[in-house]
Amino acid sequence: MTPATTLTTDRLTLRLPQAADLPTYTAFCASDRSRFVMGPFDAVQAFNKLCAMVGHWTLRGFGRYVMDLGGRGIGHVGPLAMDARDLPEFTWTLWDPAAEGQGLATEAALAVKAHLFEDLGWTEMIIRIQPGNTASCRSAERIGAVLTDAEAPDWYPGALTYRLTAGGAA
Amino acid sequence: MTDVIAQTARLTLMHPDATDWPGYQALITSPAAQYAGGQKPLSQAWHAFAGHLGHWTLRGFGLMSVRTRADNRSVGMVGAYYPEGWPEKELGWLLWPGETGQGFATEAALAARSWVYGTLGWDGAVSYIHPDNAASIAVAERLGCTRDAAGVLNFHCCADARWTACAQVVYALCAPRKARP
Repeated sequence: MTPATTLTTDRLTLRLPQAADLPTYTAFCASDRSRFVMGPFDAVQAFNKLCAMVGHWTLRGFGRYVMDLGGRGIGHVGPLAMDARDLPEFTWTLWDPAAEGQGLATEAALAVKAHLFEDLGWTEMIIRIQPGNTASCRSAERIGAVLTDAEAPDWYPGALTYRLTAGGAA
Repeated sequence: MTDVIAQTARLTLMHPDATDWPGYQALITSPAAQYAGGQKPLSQAWHAFAGHLGHWTLRGFGLMSVRTRADNRSVGMVGAYYPEGWPEKELGWLLWPGETGQGFATEAALAARSWVYGTLGWDGAVSYIHPDNAASIAVAERLGCTRDAAGVLNFHCCADARWTACAQVVYALCAPRKARP
């Protein structure tokens, strides 16, 4: 079974990134809210990053979904594997500040986690979060991720590493 | 194959996929990448390659894979490139190391030019070429391009993990030039 390209939650449709997502994603990249993911990034970088988010699906067969709320992309969620030899990294980001505080990231992450672990048989992913990103740390805990003492990678200094496994046990 | 976009005497142009990654990787991680946005470490090369694939989704067109008809070998990419930050739409070409000197770029770029002016309906295109890249300038001249001395592109290339504007390139204007805003 290959990963679904669309998933549905109570409030969201999770779908592939598309051109219409570029303005919202670019605004997020330029904003202070991207500081937890090594931003800010300018419009050129935002375009290249969204392109790569799409191309990741072509090359790996899986990738990040866009959280679509009422026809509008508000964030992305899903596994990332820049290097196929590494454990996939599970990621989520709310682009739109108005979407914060409603549990949408957690809702989306739970749906993708369930698909990967229960439908596809994946067994483990890691999650990297900056310690100041308390909202994201809470989401990690809500989906059953467990904090580890793994060191942050060179490209993401200071990040905490969580481990997410099938069944929820560390 | 449904992904085929155009064919020439020796080459097939088609949607790019994972088949093109080894060649792209060889080019972009080598010093030869100085003419293609700068040499990058592997992870950034992969990100850039994935970006070329996704460019098709965001723009509706992109760089095509160039395959030999004789043995379906990927020798480079050619096609339509218009990322954020590009002043004008570009007709671009890349050949993997070891595939140069056989006229593949010229042959592929001629077919790609027909595609951008025909199927895509472009009314003009430029090719951004590093001023020291004599081989690529020769391709542009074989295509009948003329150099636009006024045109420069603040090219984004990689320095360490961050992107910085670090090079300027001249551009050649690809004939036939129909109109340009």
